[in-house]
Amino acid sequence: MKLYRLGTVSWQDSQLLYHALPRLGREGLNLLSPGSPYVCIGYFQDAEQEVDLDLCRQQGIPVFRREVGGGAVYLDGEQLFYQLIIHRDNPLLPAGWEAFYRHFLQAPINAYRALGIPAEYRPVNDIIANGRKISGNGAAEIGDYYILVGNLIVDFDYERMVRVLRVPDEKFRDKVYKTLQDNLSTIRRELGFAPPREELWDLLAAKFAEVLGPLEVETTVDAAWRAQADTLAATMLTDEWLHRRGRPREGRAVTIRAGVQVLQKMYKAPGGLIRATVEMQEGVIAAVSFSGDFFFYPAHRLADLEAALVGVRPEEAEEVITRFYAGHGIQSPGVTPADFVRVLG
Amino acid sequence: MKIDKYEFPDDLLYDREHNWVRIEGNMATIGMTDFGQKLAGEIVYAEVPRVGRELKQGEPFMSLESGKWVGRIKAIVSGKIVEANEEIEWEATVINNDPYGAGWFARVELTAEPTGLMKASDPEFAEFIAAERARYGK
Repeated sequence: MKLYRLGTVSWQDSQLLYHALPRLGREGLNLLSPGSPYVCIGYFQDAEQEVDLDLCRQQGIPVFRREVGGGAVYLDGEQLFYQLIIHRDNPLLPAGWEAFYRHFLQAPINAYRALGIPAEYRPVNDIIANGRKISGNGAAEIGDYYILVGNLIVDFDYERMVRVLRVPDEKFRDKVYKTLQDNLSTIRRELGFAPPREELWDLLAAKFAEVLGPLEVETTVDAAWRAQADTLAATMLTDEWLHRRGRPREGRAVTIRAGVQVLQKMYKAPGGLIRATVEMQEGVIAAVSFSGDFFFYPAHRLADLEAALVGVRPEEAEEVITRFYAGHGIQSPGVTPADFVRVLG
Repeated sequence: MKIDKYEFPDDLLYDREHNWVRIEGNMATIGMTDFGQKLAGEIVYAEVPRVGRELKQGEPFMSLESGKWVGRIKAIVSGKIVEANEEIEWEATVINNDPYGAGWFARVELTAEPTGLMKASDPEFAEFIAAERARYGK
């Protein structure tokens, strides 16, 4: 298989090149970084709903829709991308998506371990070190090829990531920021420094060679590949492609890593609107904050109710809330414990 | 009938891509099998095909997403889509929960006789599912 060590490329090429290879009927492993920052959304996402497009426009941050799943991410040159394009009949390809991720993610995991970072695979598609995600990965089928894309994260601009996301309010943004800080790590955070870039590329190439076999190194994009990427650019860099219809969704959810999500849901109960910002960890409420225009007496007990729900599964919440109402003599005209449950989880 | 823990209704035909089709005259309803949805895992998005789109058996016509994987679904028959199930775009997990009922993909007016399809009771189909179960460890 060819290893395309391309170093720093334009942000457009950091996406177009891996979309182009399968369309040329070619396998390959690309190692590259984008020359400037951009936001990349998942194939099924709605750009308007996920990204603050006005802010991105003001700050000159392009937005791109990939043909790979997952959520909106902020990408820049502090992330080292690997992009594997492999034919469905290649004997190296394990059967099933979990096996696919598990097998090929061994390469970045071993690269992290060689750096002294205790990385491990976490189903379905995350790499975790010391409990925090340290690599984002996604996959797709394009024609007869399977695609794996992911990154080694040298450094991460948490602030900018939460700025570019469209969120319902600042409280939600703060929650996403804090949860990201708690659940996403980087090489710099783990080691206290960033190793030289070439050392990281060498390591990644060596670890992929252990999984894929000998790799034939190329450092340039040939004419056919360039032409295919340019053809794709005519579609994939347009507003029409970016704004293709995504599924409308109620509420807002940002997945930090597998098992960790920040959600905001709203429900119009007879007694008023209830809004909940919820942090879910492994199916359990890790934090919740209620707001809205409903009445809740005594008002200071609302914070106690939020505290009582920590550690509770959404399916157990109605019982916990009902008990809380009885124990504290709560009155909330037109709002029942069942109404609160509708905005949880 | 059941093959191990997977349901395969007797009145449907199946391909080797884990799709089913119910043929009634010149019309066909298509979807993903119980085994197929188990392989996919929790389906979070489905792209509903356009009415009027021409399908060619064996060629991709729609996409699904599960586990940050975007997969293409190949058409089990050739024909023209006359109705698409928009519900799966709103709630894709219905494909997991009811693959032969509410999780159907589309209704198709056939333009050619489909080839290579199997009934659940065919020994060839049982062999195929056994091989797939071994391959995927399901």
